[in-house]
Amino acid sequence: MQTMIQAKRHIQTIDKLWVILIALTLFSAFMAERATPSFVSVAIMAIVLAVKGRIIVDHFMELKNAHFLLRGLMRAYFYVIPSLIIIVYLFPETIARWTALS
Amino acid sequence: MNTFVTQAQPSFLSFRKYTSIPGSMAIWFAILAEMTEFTIMFIVYFIAKVHNPELFYDGPTRLNTLAGTSNTLIMLTSSFFVIRAVIAIRNNQLRQSSRWLWAAVICGLLYLIIKVLEYQWNTAQGLDTETNIFYGVYYYVTFNHFLHVGWGSAGLIWVIYRINTGIYTQNEHEGLINMAVYWHMIDLAWITIFPLLYIIR
Repeated sequence: MQTMIQAKRHIQTIDKLWVILIALTLFSAFMAERATPSFVSVAIMAIVLAVKGRIIVDHFMELKNAHFLLRGLMRAYFYVIPSLIIIVYLFPETIARWTALS
Repeated sequence: MNTFVTQAQPSFLSFRKYTSIPGSMAIWFAILAEMTEFTIMFIVYFIAKVHNPELFYDGPTRLNTLAGTSNTLIMLTSSFFVIRAVIAIRNNQLRQSSRWLWAAVICGLLYLIIKVLEYQWNTAQGLDTETNIFYGVYYYVTFNHFLHVGWGSAGLIWVIYRINTGIYTQNEHEGLINMAVYWHMIDLAWITIFPLLYIIR
């Protein structure tokens, strides 16, 4: 009985997370159409990506309670890429200088 | 007996807490290799972007945002169907499990159709791989992802066949878990590609 209730709760959580993922996607698409690019809009999009990635890694891939190394690597991905998005927006010239061939 | 199991089954590494991995070790090597491959493409994108700021500022505005957004919604939904299939098989609901997987396959096919239409739409707008470096990166990354969705969908059909022929059961379905986590990886790659190419300028 206890496990049946747990299974129902698990399904409810997954359903809610799907609604959140859809809402976040529509929100970022709407922002792309309306807002002119600014630090705030880019930061919001990076955060939206981080949140979506974390939900999928933790709850869809079920890594929340998995091996710490695997969980850590997959979670790290959605800290690194959003950070890169913000860094590239803020310091394009510096990065261009570092990555120039001559 | 109808046992409900909600947590991932501990795997062979269970010598301390939080040491289980969903699916097999082999699929995680594949996933991490694929994530690395996509990371290299994203680094190429970032470097091309800082060297060509105008092209990357205008680039996303000429792409079909509706197609990109629809495909993001479809990929997220297919991932949702796949996790529901995993929960269903753990609860010994084999038929529901294969139905959820069929729903995911339909999403995969819809994604492929929309992508083809989007490429045709681009061609009609005069955009191709040679237009400029933004579209070069766009075609390189999205076509690579397109292939992943293609063989991922084929993999899902294979898993459905294994469920329907009684090979996967409530207690023995590691192949389904492997396919599920691989499919979520394809989803993760797309939710990263979507803001980079369609949204962020």
